[in-house]
Amino acid sequence: MPVAPGAVLREPAHRVSRRAVLMWTLQALVVVALLLAGQVVWWLVDDAPSRTPHWVVGAVWLVVGAAYAVAMPQWRYRVHRWEATPHAIYTQSGWLWQERRIAPLGRVQTVDLERGPVAQLLGLAAVTITTASAAGPVTIHGLDLSVAHELVDALTAAAVAETGDAT
Amino acid sequence: MTEDAEGWRRLDARMLLVHPLETLIRFLPALLALVVFRAGSEDNDRWELYAVPLIIAFGVLRWVTTRYRIADGQIELRRGLFTKQTTTARLDKVRTIDLTARVYHRVLGLAKVEISTAGGQHDRLVLDSLGVDAARRLRAELLHRVDPAVTGLPAPTGAPLTLDDVPDDAPPPVDDEVLVRLDPSWIRYAPLTVTGLASAAAIVGFASQGFSRFSQERSVFRDGATFVSRLAWWVDVLLLLGVVSLLAVGAYVLTFWGFRLTRNRLGTLHTRRGLLTNRETSIDAARVRGIRLDEPLGLRLAGASRLKVVTSGLLREQGGSDWLCPPAPSGVVTPLALRIRPDETAVSGPLTPHGPAARRRRLTRAVVPAVIVAALLVVARLLWGWHGSLLVLVPLLLVGAVALGRDRYRALGHSVTPDHLVTRHGSLDRQRVVLDRDGIIGWKVEQSFFQRRVGVATLVATTAGGAQHYDVVDVPVEMAYAVLAEVSPDLIAEFA
Repeated sequence: MPVAPGAVLREPAHRVSRRAVLMWTLQALVVVALLLAGQVVWWLVDDAPSRTPHWVVGAVWLVVGAAYAVAMPQWRYRVHRWEATPHAIYTQSGWLWQERRIAPLGRVQTVDLERGPVAQLLGLAAVTITTASAAGPVTIHGLDLSVAHELVDALTAAAVAETGDAT
Repeated sequence: MTEDAEGWRRLDARMLLVHPLETLIRFLPALLALVVFRAGSEDNDRWELYAVPLIIAFGVLRWVTTRYRIADGQIELRRGLFTKQTTTARLDKVRTIDLTARVYHRVLGLAKVEISTAGGQHDRLVLDSLGVDAARRLRAELLHRVDPAVTGLPAPTGAPLTLDDVPDDAPPPVDDEVLVRLDPSWIRYAPLTVTGLASAAAIVGFASQGFSRFSQERSVFRDGATFVSRLAWWVDVLLLLGVVSLLAVGAYVLTFWGFRLTRNRLGTLHTRRGLLTNRETSIDAARVRGIRLDEPLGLRLAGASRLKVVTSGLLREQGGSDWLCPPAPSGVVTPLALRIRPDETAVSGPLTPHGPAARRRRLTRAVVPAVIVAALLVVARLLWGWHGSLLVLVPLLLVGAVALGRDRYRALGHSVTPDHLVTRHGSLDRQRVVLDRDGIIGWKVEQSFFQRRVGVATLVATTAGGAQHYDVVDVPVEMAYAVLAEVSPDLIAEFA
């Protein structure tokens, strides 16, 4: 019996940037390209006369890879959401495995803004909020750069305002 | 102990003996191999002796260059000749203090002090070594700083302390309550734990490695092996059980002999244990986030369990530093747990079960691998003609898997009390964690594809101590959010 995720605690308010779909697609294509490279190497080093296994394996990963590159980014985009209040941060992420993280800002230790190569190309950024627990970092991927900067400023201000030694 | 004008102190000079000794022990296997190798050669050049002055010089250098002091509310450790390295830790971030004395430390009256603070390994200060009294005084200085009334010490932020003012807590002061003391009869539980068996295996591996260096001993092994293989199989099994049990008992005695847990007026927990290597661990009460009751299958069947502490600042590699009680009868462990966390419902009360979906998932997870192995056995019999008697394993596997799945479901449960979140899971390695509610610093609700289909989730409470996160596994989604709302109502209100 599927339970609608919103039934128990509403989803976080904001979606990530629409360009995140493009970012995840590019990242997926990189993975697919690596598989292609493996396939090419195999084609070159294989001495067996029959090329049938190559075509079969190639077809399988092409179908799986294409499905991954098309479906995963859309799926992710639908799941990924975030919301920050002056006292807490709440995120939802994943696709096959999904998770929600919720952390009070009084326990925040560091706030990081990261931009990978693809993210830089698309004007996106990821914000990571670290708490005193090694298991607790909260990351929001695919934020618009200006939104990310605003979020970092807001979180830093809020974390300073909250008291406590973050453990 | 000497102290210069700026309050810097040195390690104990006796450590100069410890360092060459440790180096010697580390290279002992190599040295032995060398001696054996030499026996057959004409070469009389004892070049390994040249290493001795080098090792001693290195030790002296370390003694000269290492200094530490307590000043301005910080402990500072300075090391190195060419690259000066200073490690600083704020006193109010000190979590635990370990005193370790190996046999040769004990002979020389020394102890190694390890001070761990917030965070990981790089936040650890090691003083190798101080005199035992100086080490205990340092520990008292670090841990008793909070309450001047207890120690008569000034607050840490101030002038350096006069060391004579610091009480030496070597014998437990009268006001320390002894919570538990090892009863030698508990040694019977040693062979029942995986830890015991693992240490037995480690001893066997180490010993066989040591022996294999001497080729002339090999015939002894061969004769032994021939002798054993001629015995009836059940004698072999008994022999194996006997040897493993003996080794496990040996490991237990080495680790836990003289185990004692005390608590002082500030609530600092203090354990002392070890037959040859003496280890003392002090855990600041303010850093304790809860307790963990372990009931691995073997112990559970024998009516025993063991107790660990959930705290920030204990290091993983110091295996056993977080033990509050070695394997002991539940009649001892449960009352002990209650004295550390006086919450009857949390420590021994009934837990809320997680319902049919969780039960199905436990069974699937146990049975599917068993079915695969069983199928492989049948295939191996049909295709490669494996011995038919192996097929006896098939029903055993299936029955075992169902029993395991059911037991795992029985273990699954959680509860929320006014002060604690309790979660329990596992069959072979069952554990019940009693986590302080105010030690929880964040939440995760995780759902895999299959968990979403059946409406369950894994609720993860993150904390700065112990395993960093404690999971309520396969709990129905509504229940997960109910727990979240009950423990952190303010947090949920933010997003209502």
